[in-house]
Amino acid sequence: MSAQVSRMSRAADARVSRRSKRRLPAAWRSPLALVGIVIAGAWFLAAILAPWIAPYDPLAQGLPRLTPPGEYSVLGTDVLGRDALSRLLHGARVTIPLAGVLVVCAMVLGTIIGAVAGYIGGWVDEVLGRLTDLFMAFPTVILAMVIAAALGPSLYNAVLAGIVVTWPMYARVTRSLVMSLRSQNFVIASRLLGYSPWRSMGTDILPNVMGPVLVLASLEVGTAILLLTGLSFLGLGAQPPTAEWGSMISGAMQNIDAWWLGVFPGLAILTVVMAFNFIGDSLRDVLDPLSSAERQGAGSAVGPTTVNADEGDPSAAVPSEPTEQEAPR
Amino acid sequence: MPTATKAARSRSTGSALPRYLLRRLGTSIVLLFGVTLVTFVLTALVPGDPIAAALGEGAIQNEATVEAYRERYGMDRSLPERYLLYLLALVQGDLGTSIRTSRPVLEELSTALPATVEVAFAAIVVSLAVALVLGTIAACRAGKVSDQVVRVVSLVGLSVPTFWLAIMVYRLFFMQLGWAPGSGRLSPALNPPPRITGLYLVDFALDGDPVGFIDAAAHLVLPVVVLSLFTIGLLTRFIRSSVLEVLSTDYVRAARAKGLSSRRVIVGYLLRGASLPILTMVGVAFGALLSGTVLVEAVFAWPGLGTYAYYAAINLDLPAVMGVGLVVGVIYVVINLVVDLLYGVLDPRVRLG
Amino acid sequence: MSAPRVRRTAALFLAGSLALTACSGGNTGAQSESDDDTGQSTGGTLVIDTAFSLETGDPGRNYVPTGSTVLHPLYETLLTFEGDDESEPVPGLATMEVNDDATEFTFTLEEDRVFSDGSAIDADDVVFSFERLQGMESSKANHLVVGIEIEKVDDMTVRITTEEPYLQLPAIVTNPALSILNSEAVEENGGTTDDSDEAEEFLNGTSVGSGPYQLETFDLTSQVVLVPNDEYNGDQPAQFERVVIRNVSEAATQLTNLRGGDSHLALDLSGDQVAELGEDFDITAGPGAQTIFLLVNQDEGVFGDLANPSFAEAVRYALDYDSILELAGDGAAQATGVIPPMFLGAPEEGVEQDLDRAAEALEESGYDGETLTLRFPNDQPIGGVDFTTLAERIQSQLAEAEINVDLAPAPFASEIDPYVEGTADFAMWYWGPDFADSSSFLPFGPDETVGTRSGWTADDAPDIADLVTEARTATDLDEREQAFTDYATAMQEEGPFVPLLVPARSFASSGVDGVTYNSNWTIDIAELSPAD
Repeated sequence: MSAQVSRMSRAADARVSRRSKRRLPAAWRSPLALVGIVIAGAWFLAAILAPWIAPYDPLAQGLPRLTPPGEYSVLGTDVLGRDALSRLLHGARVTIPLAGVLVVCAMVLGTIIGAVAGYIGGWVDEVLGRLTDLFMAFPTVILAMVIAAALGPSLYNAVLAGIVVTWPMYARVTRSLVMSLRSQNFVIASRLLGYSPWRSMGTDILPNVMGPVLVLASLEVGTAILLLTGLSFLGLGAQPPTAEWGSMISGAMQNIDAWWLGVFPGLAILTVVMAFNFIGDSLRDVLDPLSSAERQGAGSAVGPTTVNADEGDPSAAVPSEPTEQEAPR
Repeated sequence: MPTATKAARSRSTGSALPRYLLRRLGTSIVLLFGVTLVTFVLTALVPGDPIAAALGEGAIQNEATVEAYRERYGMDRSLPERYLLYLLALVQGDLGTSIRTSRPVLEELSTALPATVEVAFAAIVVSLAVALVLGTIAACRAGKVSDQVVRVVSLVGLSVPTFWLAIMVYRLFFMQLGWAPGSGRLSPALNPPPRITGLYLVDFALDGDPVGFIDAAAHLVLPVVVLSLFTIGLLTRFIRSSVLEVLSTDYVRAARAKGLSSRRVIVGYLLRGASLPILTMVGVAFGALLSGTVLVEAVFAWPGLGTYAYYAAINLDLPAVMGVGLVVGVIYVVINLVVDLLYGVLDPRVRLG
Repeated sequence: MSAPRVRRTAALFLAGSLALTACSGGNTGAQSESDDDTGQSTGGTLVIDTAFSLETGDPGRNYVPTGSTVLHPLYETLLTFEGDDESEPVPGLATMEVNDDATEFTFTLEEDRVFSDGSAIDADDVVFSFERLQGMESSKANHLVVGIEIEKVDDMTVRITTEEPYLQLPAIVTNPALSILNSEAVEENGGTTDDSDEAEEFLNGTSVGSGPYQLETFDLTSQVVLVPNDEYNGDQPAQFERVVIRNVSEAATQLTNLRGGDSHLALDLSGDQVAELGEDFDITAGPGAQTIFLLVNQDEGVFGDLANPSFAEAVRYALDYDSILELAGDGAAQATGVIPPMFLGAPEEGVEQDLDRAAEALEESGYDGETLTLRFPNDQPIGGVDFTTLAERIQSQLAEAEINVDLAPAPFASEIDPYVEGTADFAMWYWGPDFADSSSFLPFGPDETVGTRSGWTADDAPDIADLVTEARTATDLDEREQAFTDYATAMQEEGPFVPLLVPARSFASSGVDGVTYNSNWTIDIAELSPAD
């Protein structure tokens, strides 16, 4: 469920953050980011060095079955006599890079669709808008389940399913940003100067869209990891004998008395996702051009939830008062 | 979410509510139609044979039986034909028969949905209560230690893999300590209540059965705790932001200046002022809980919509998958509508148009 | 084979059921009333926990395990099995005589037996019950009665005729799908012998058989309650006042219920869970009737150069069966051949790992180091054996024999299509008997059901094809046993299959006697009684 909620919440979050972070002292941000970077860095190291630091081959079945931590291996052995620690370390090589791929692909796809819809408008916008709605109406995990069933379960198909269910969020954010930028003076000016729409898109609009979109993406890495491990847990992602955290937990469910099989992969997921969330959350304060703009003019209280009457603008992530976002150049 | 804000932002005045509802109904039907089409195409294209799966060895070697099954589920017809027949039956309120269980999909959904509604509703109530407290504390002490603690707590809540947490608490509190009952909605020794709403707590209460009520409530505890953690993280952050925003408004400043006690300010002004965005978020979270509890339901053997969807999907049970898609689509539409309407009620500035 | 009874304690049997009564008393009024007199009944309430596979209360439409467990004590069949002895059917409602060609089976009904409404059982009821199933083509059990003719000889005698010698017929008629129904009661409620039968709904609420129990309540998803049939006049009357069969899908919950005295018999525990229960419970663990095997497709169009028996042989001797068996828990057995150990004709000794022989066969098979894909269904564990775990071990063992394999698990519903269509090149599947007879394993033969799925024709192995015919049409029991033994042995030599193991069926109980595994109805509720 997490993915479903979060893809909506992130959008909502992004909106609110823009208006509320203005009175936060710097202390609120940095230590968290530091903790996140340290944890994530440790996992990156583990992923890179796994072949050298893992005590055993993650696939070797030479040890006695289901031994608790300490006896034969630091974290015990699984039902086939494989070393849990080695599998845990190798698991980092599977999940983290794929989550990155998922987020980047979804971001690129969503941004393009959103930008096209927002810039061209009219019936194109209408069609793309309905399409986005349609995908939003599907529950993430169920849609991913059907996709995995249709294409055959594998990690790559799970990533594909993840892209399919997450792109609408980026599309929505981008679309509304582009729509509001389109009517900005500096954009209109560049068009009056005779620049092509492509140039206007590339130089005026996209750079201004990238900030919020990147913030969103950074917050999405954790969600992507949760989605991929969840699908693997259901048997719709990583396939045996791959050492992957979600499928390790599902193996633990079948041997529920062997507590060590479940605890550690879960903690691994928790810490990695937490690290990315810490970083993303802190990053938002730094990267979000809007919130920094607001911070400069701190104290300039805007009305409460007053929002622009912009019919046909369904996005939750719209910068509500475009006037605040003067040309950054 | 999208439609919610759309309505909230619409300020065009004077349009009558019925006209608005009618338009919403129109777009909703188009959306639901799209949902059925996408689900149908996706599921029908999956290679595999639900009939063979349902029949199993033995019966599958009997051609007469296979033929009879194909005919019964319309598998002997072309895809477009099958889709049209499905829509035709749908209009008459018939969701078809599950291939896996050979029971009407509508009947199965009508037991699965309340199971999920019950646990999702309990989770949202618990989450909202906790998040209101945490969020308000964090906002009122923005930047202070307690704010930071709340921020970390809510971020951690958002980071926990729910399926893992579910296994952990099941192992600890059921298997190890015996404090919580096992999986499912009810102890096997008890009979389910007479069906009125399908929500066990409500039905047991209406039936005047304290034993059943307590048992059903006890079975809710672990799934609700697990599901709540994520929503608490989500709502806390949101509530904090919303309250912060209201804090900076003139009327709250005025109230404070007037010397009103901070509790009165919080309850009377802050939360009321922030209630609209919070309401939206709660609606979104509730809808997501309803359709997204697959992983947690799998662990607790909770006979809800997620479990049903899972088995429908892996068994390529087309009518059942379609049914789930439709129900989730309807939930999405209804929740958006309700949130929008409540907006209209709570915020006089919003005019539906 | 007989399942070893491991342990026994006279546990708090009545106490358990009383506690249960007290619990559920406040829950529903009806239940508590009928439980109030628990003390004076013969055996009180028996609570059985199992993960339901229940689709119908209509015997003719049932072909799933829980259905058979529930229906067997309600209805009787012409012949039956006693306990776990499935070698030979014994008289049920009738005694049987067979002609020398094994094509004519004459059943003489026991005198004076009655249905639960007190009416007498006669030949018309038998003929109706069989013809009703023949008429219901959409019943999963319909295939049991394809190709047989039934006729009434006199009021107490019926004759079944088949075209070919058909010595498996006695085993077939023990299946609960061929229960003898009260024809009058069924016909009054929509029952017919053509495809218009509508008696299912009636039978879901009422049992119309002659077994020691009758149906009290029937719910497909939660529980089934049986109470004694007061009209029963057979020689095995009901031993419990009330039998509750509950749907408890999680094995862990079944275990907890049993430990807490909340149930008396748990049917779906894994070997590991049973082992964990300790000395306070009775444990019944023995091999089930299902064989898990690897399939090596023999059709060159499907498996190319490797479509030959040598590759199957290489795989067969590359595996370490003890280490595979280790994954299946107590009670499981190595599959010594395609026929499981509990059936007639199963080879005594299984294959032992022989890496030299494997290497030799591999050389001959033309395997060239390519990576193969092993396909298998991953959502249907058999007897607690998880296919994915099993496949991972096989993969690792084959790798040591220098056969490279990737694993491709998929849900049953997606995977069964290529398997049945014969397009799966290298796969792991399972096979269980349609009825408790070795002939249920002849489908592994060339041009037979499973043989065809592996692209194996009679041209590929004419000798084995002959053995299949011999076993199937044998008219003499000794000759038949020999034919099965020859068949199973030859399959191990040159067949395209690698039988792996027969998973265990493990039950745990407290205070119940008579718990044994039978492949037809899992456990025989009619044979259960309170422990002394």
